[in-house]
Amino acid sequence: MFKKYSSISYWVKALVVVISIGFSSNDAFAAGPPKASELSNPLAQVLLVIIVGLLLAIGLLANVILGAAQVYLQRYKDERKKGNNAVGKFLTIALLCLTTSALFAADTPAATAAVTEETSIAGLSLTSFYVMVSVIFLELLILWVLLANLKKLLAKEAAVIADTEEAAVKKTSSFLLWWDNFNSFKPIQEESSIDLGHDYDGIRELDNRLPPWWLYGFYLTIIFAGLYLYRYHVAKSAPLSKEELSIALEQAAADKEEYLKKSASNVDENTVTYLTSPADHEAGQKIFTTICAACHLADGGGSVGPNMTDNYFIHGGGIKDIFKTIKYGYPEKGMKSWKDDYSPTQIAQLASYVKSLVGTKPAKGKEPQGVLYEEKTGTSSATDSTKAKVDSTKAVVVK
Amino acid sequence: MQVEKFYYDNRIVKQFAFATILWGVVGMLAGLLIAVQIYLPAANFGLPFTTFGRVRPVHTNAVIFAFVGNGIFMGVYYSLQRLCKARMFSDLLGKIHFWGWQFIIVLAAVTLLAGYTSGKEYAELEWPIDILIALIWIVFGINMFGTIIKRRESHLYVAIWFYIATWITVTMLHVVNSFELPFSMLKSYSFYAGVQDALVQWWYGHNAVAFFLTTPYLGVMYYFLPKAANRPVYSYRLSIIHFWALIFLYIWAGPHHLLYTALPDWAQSLGTVFSIMLIAPSWGGMLNGLFTLRGAWDKVREDPILKFMVVAITCYGMSTFEGPMLSIKSVNAITHFTDWTIAHVHVGALGWNGFLTFAILYWLIPRIYNTPLYSKKLATNHFWIGTIGIILYTIPMYWAGFTQALMWKQFTAEGTLKFQFLETVTHIIPMYITRSIGGVLYLSGVFIMVYNIYKTVKAGSLVADEAAEAPALASHIEPQSKQYWHRWIEARPIQMLLFSLVAVAIGGILELVPTFLIKSNIPTIAAVKPYTPLELQGRDIYIREGCYLCHSQMVRPFRDEVARYGEYSKAGEFVYDHPFQWGSKRTGPDLARVGGKYPDSWHFNHMQDPQSMSPGSIMPSYTWLYENKIDTAITPAKIRAMTTLGVPYEKGYDLKANADLMEQAKKIQTGLKTEKLEAGANTEILALIAYLQRIGSDIKNAPKPTVAALTN
Repeated sequence: MFKKYSSISYWVKALVVVISIGFSSNDAFAAGPPKASELSNPLAQVLLVIIVGLLLAIGLLANVILGAAQVYLQRYKDERKKGNNAVGKFLTIALLCLTTSALFAADTPAATAAVTEETSIAGLSLTSFYVMVSVIFLELLILWVLLANLKKLLAKEAAVIADTEEAAVKKTSSFLLWWDNFNSFKPIQEESSIDLGHDYDGIRELDNRLPPWWLYGFYLTIIFAGLYLYRYHVAKSAPLSKEELSIALEQAAADKEEYLKKSASNVDENTVTYLTSPADHEAGQKIFTTICAACHLADGGGSVGPNMTDNYFIHGGGIKDIFKTIKYGYPEKGMKSWKDDYSPTQIAQLASYVKSLVGTKPAKGKEPQGVLYEEKTGTSSATDSTKAKVDSTKAVVVK
Repeated sequence: MQVEKFYYDNRIVKQFAFATILWGVVGMLAGLLIAVQIYLPAANFGLPFTTFGRVRPVHTNAVIFAFVGNGIFMGVYYSLQRLCKARMFSDLLGKIHFWGWQFIIVLAAVTLLAGYTSGKEYAELEWPIDILIALIWIVFGINMFGTIIKRRESHLYVAIWFYIATWITVTMLHVVNSFELPFSMLKSYSFYAGVQDALVQWWYGHNAVAFFLTTPYLGVMYYFLPKAANRPVYSYRLSIIHFWALIFLYIWAGPHHLLYTALPDWAQSLGTVFSIMLIAPSWGGMLNGLFTLRGAWDKVREDPILKFMVVAITCYGMSTFEGPMLSIKSVNAITHFTDWTIAHVHVGALGWNGFLTFAILYWLIPRIYNTPLYSKKLATNHFWIGTIGIILYTIPMYWAGFTQALMWKQFTAEGTLKFQFLETVTHIIPMYITRSIGGVLYLSGVFIMVYNIYKTVKAGSLVADEAAEAPALASHIEPQSKQYWHRWIEARPIQMLLFSLVAVAIGGILELVPTFLIKSNIPTIAAVKPYTPLELQGRDIYIREGCYLCHSQMVRPFRDEVARYGEYSKAGEFVYDHPFQWGSKRTGPDLARVGGKYPDSWHFNHMQDPQSMSPGSIMPSYTWLYENKIDTAITPAKIRAMTTLGVPYEKGYDLKANADLMEQAKKIQTGLKTEKLEAGANTEILALIAYLQRIGSDIKNAPKPTVAALTN
């Protein structure tokens, strides 16, 4: 009847909202090649889910209020037939205002959500964030107003029921009323009317209607499935896994460049110098125990990897050589590249710590490997053996 | 109409009930052991058969197929007789079914601990046991259908629909996923390779959850819940819709276990959308359960059985909502490979399966022993201890998974990884410890139940044959006046079986067939070559020790994984992997690019004493690999099997294989010697090192395409 009609109209509205969200994003993408949309931003997704969830809640609540209001209205109409009264008129107008505002409320987010999509730039811009958050607040506000109205309405209705039918029905909490309506429960005392008469070893079956939220939820997931497949595989407006990776890598490279421009840590194997401060050595030692000790032992005595405490080096013993060995590694000899794991500053600290190990006495030193390294006079101006080899090694290590 | 007298068989129900309890305790003890091993490597005891990689499959198989499996049979044998108003079709088949299943379980435990595994999760059992399972499952099917055919009830109740769908689907899954080529009495290679093997395996794995842990338990819920609550089932039409929607949609969702892997994108997307569509059908079962309790909630306050059922159904609802959420790619990117998955499955296993089983046991044992339950109070205590156990188990695991995933993904401003893998592991050790405490609580609840049931059984006596009577079934089906359209099929079990098969076959066929037939789904890579005989032997050792249970071999196309492990994995890299070894959990780091990352000597030291190479590591040591000789006698058979499966070894290579094997082993051995490491000739460690050094290196050593070409 009326209730049913109103709920269907509401759901149609909700679907339009969801579809408009899905398609507006597609339009945004149709212009250019696929790039990271704001929709793939986790925050945006969470906010969107909240928005849609609240929207559903608003819709359901509006539905309940409509139903309740209808009952209320009917009663007043009946009364009016008996004797005209001004309060009835006033209430009718007030209720109409309320219900229409509830319906409009359901429309607003749709409009704003569409706006969000159109103004979207890469990443979640401040604007869209605030728009989404304000949509959420707006929705919460609407919910609050709706709830307040529902409470008033129910209280009135309960009073009327108490007056007219005097404890014929047990007083139920407003939540339970809402809950029964929400699931379109049949009152328990009317259960026999929907008993199907089945009897399986004493088990009977009722013929309750499907909970509306369940059924429409099911439809929604099916529509979601269609939109999802359309976006990824027909419109190709959302990035697949490999595109996601290249977007992430580009973004990361840009961020890194931006950062290095601003920071002082932009050292490399040509500019690195031996760091002498105890703080640097301590930091270096910490990294050494985490990653190097496995092959070179905690005191640098060497096991799988060579001894770090003698003055013999396979790939050169200058600070620049050591820096380079750590940064790029010598994978063919089992030395991994650590440039993705540690920053240039950290590698400089580690290299300095390693260099400081030379001459210490390990508990069990491995025999010397490589060639004896002699520091050129004057520590700071040490021209490493790197220079000569730099070209040949670069070819190997650069990806 | 003639009223017939007959007897329900309660003895078989009792047997399955006791087996359920026994294997429940065994499976949970195994689980507790591996939970402790994760933070206490010494608890591996340095023995092959007590090490994590071998005990873990015992835990999963015992809980799924022994505990829940016997639970299913207990529920089915009890409810089916009563719903059909008939004794089970054949007592003999029942006996064969019961003892056959227990025999399979024992065989499974022994072979798994001995290292015989197919290397595919939840389908680890080797080929002779696979055949045995199929035979016993058919015995069960005959016994079930025999009973249904000779029923005295015209229509089939919803519980039976679920039993029928379970039976036919499990048959299909088991047969398709167990295609394997035996090369010895106890070992075989999967018929499928790489991407295809992964797809079949997770089509199976996901639907083992669906059709072994879910649909049969929904069936028993539909019987025991209305019985225990003494309330009519909430909605018959909800039963119809959610049943058909559930079995049709569930089968498609398997690929959500393979998001961001080398599986083609279209299959991944199908996995996602079908999982999302599953929410409502799954919840249909929950709603029908919970709403059936309408008007009986006052009973829930007093009755521990209903308490167990309510929590079970709630856990079912939670995990069937969580599952679809985990299938959304952006969520999956965080949760997959972490302990989040472990938390998720344990909400299902401990909550849904465990608690529903306990409820049924508490309800059914007093009835077949014709005596009240020994102590309601103990049962209530069991409920509370178990519930706290579940909470204490799952929350730390969710937390651990989330924390670790975020740590993996964290970069410094300079663009380097913020945490080494090991740091992310040691960080969550406290959560592992809390989890095992949750497990202890849950298990102590089970011991309380064992005591309670023991006392109950002592007090009563088994009503082995329970008298019942019902009118014989009229030979014609009554004319349908104003009936539901669905009543038609409810009176026709064979049609029900066929329709269920059609419903579950569609999804499977549409996903599997294109992946097998369309070449573009798995682009070949010229640099990828078959394994050498030594590497092949090493790979089988890798599988035997269950390395795949803690190490994945799948670098996903994420910035952090590419930085941490190397180039992301390509479909073409796995074409010779029978079976695939992508794994599902990273307790240790990914190994897809481990080849060439460390020197042989590192692996040699690491396998003997992992903590020496990675201080703080939780990996157990594998000392026996240094004494065991490689079984070279089997090499030719292995090569022949691989050739049959399409791996392009040259003709007659099976006979030359061992020479190559020895040569390569010798080379590794000599290399180790220069580092002063003594490896025995042809010891297993050499084969394992050879394999580890090979993994993922084919692409690495090939001439490098430019970065742009790789990422497109």
